[in-house]
Amino acid sequence: MSERPERRGPERRKSVPDRRGGELLDRREWLNQVTGNWDHDILPGNVHIGSDCYLESTGSFALWKSGTDPGIVIGDRVTIYGWTKFESVGSGFIEVGDDSILVGARLMSSERISIGRRVVVSHHVLFADSDMHPVEPQLRRKETVALAYYDDSERRQPVDVRPITVGDDVWIGAASIVLKGVTIGEGARVQAGSVVVDDIPAGAVVAGSPARPIEEGERP
Amino acid sequence: MSPSYNLDDVEWFDPLPENVVLGEGTYLYSSYAFRHCMSERPCAVRVGKYTNIYPDTCFDLGPRGEVTVGDYTHLSDPTISTNGRVSIGSHCMVAWETVLADIAYAVPPDSRAALGQPEPDPGDTDIVLADNAWIGARAVLLGGARIGEGSVVGAGSVVDFEVPPYTVAAGNPARIMGPVRTAR
Repeated sequence: MSERPERRGPERRKSVPDRRGGELLDRREWLNQVTGNWDHDILPGNVHIGSDCYLESTGSFALWKSGTDPGIVIGDRVTIYGWTKFESVGSGFIEVGDDSILVGARLMSSERISIGRRVVVSHHVLFADSDMHPVEPQLRRKETVALAYYDDSERRQPVDVRPITVGDDVWIGAASIVLKGVTIGEGARVQAGSVVVDDIPAGAVVAGSPARPIEEGERP
Repeated sequence: MSPSYNLDDVEWFDPLPENVVLGEGTYLYSSYAFRHCMSERPCAVRVGKYTNIYPDTCFDLGPRGEVTVGDYTHLSDPTISTNGRVSIGSHCMVAWETVLADIAYAVPPDSRAALGQPEPDPGDTDIVLADNAWIGARAVLLGGARIGEGSVVGAGSVVDFEVPPYTVAAGNPARIMGPVRTAR
């Protein structure tokens, strides 16, 4: 991987005069602090991060509530920008392979989302390995009660959960959606705006909703 | 009336980059929108008068990136990710979670080298919104998208071609659906 240009964010921030006194300055220093120098204390304990990663913001893990350990396993030299959000729906597990770049992935995991090595995920991409809620109307009605603030979330209804596997060297275009049970083969290209509901063979180029194979260079 | 931007309600204290120019009466929610703006152009982002730029808008510009926005335009929260030119006219509306990107697999400029792709020729990947265009939520405009005056792009569409003036384009892949109804 080539040498990175100098990061501008944190350096520029230090030059800003403190106009407000200590308390907010501390908060400012906390925000987006972790740029390669890991402070594991402010990440959830079940998040395991490899060496030489770049993580723009700890806010990426704000919605990670899964108690499983390991919960998130991130390989070496992974780049995760602040638009990326890791969310657990119940107990989830997410693994990201070495040298991957996650720009704006929203990963909602109930069971397992596996991202391979050298994967590129562009802006506003959504991964969900479950339906979140039952499709059957009467069960969904019970689900709304179980989700209410004073009720018991143990009574939530079973939903369809199937893990997502993304192979090595896959690129996923902006605003795509990858749904449960999908396996994307190695080296596949998912064009912008695709909705992936079926498996994609290795090396294929897919586009559209639902995503279907197209010839390389053909307009989706 | 001078441009206003809010540094009180958000946890971001950076001043605007020097190569960003906001016109009179323009509202910017936060300078956080420019945290990925790495353009080295003398004028990276020029915004006209009385334009509103709402939270979560992001100008994710490479060293050659350049964005111009006209007057009375509303940017809800587009992500503009380009190393070329993006030109947004006056009286445009751009809805939520839209992506304006010069390449389909758009990543911030400091990761582009890892893609190993040649930079596209300048000019090929320009994105142009003429005056009074309207972009629906979660639409994606890729390099080469030129939206004509008064045209409408439907929600969730993917457009990388020229849409004539006063035309509706929608779908994934996007198609020309017909003329915009006009009051005469």
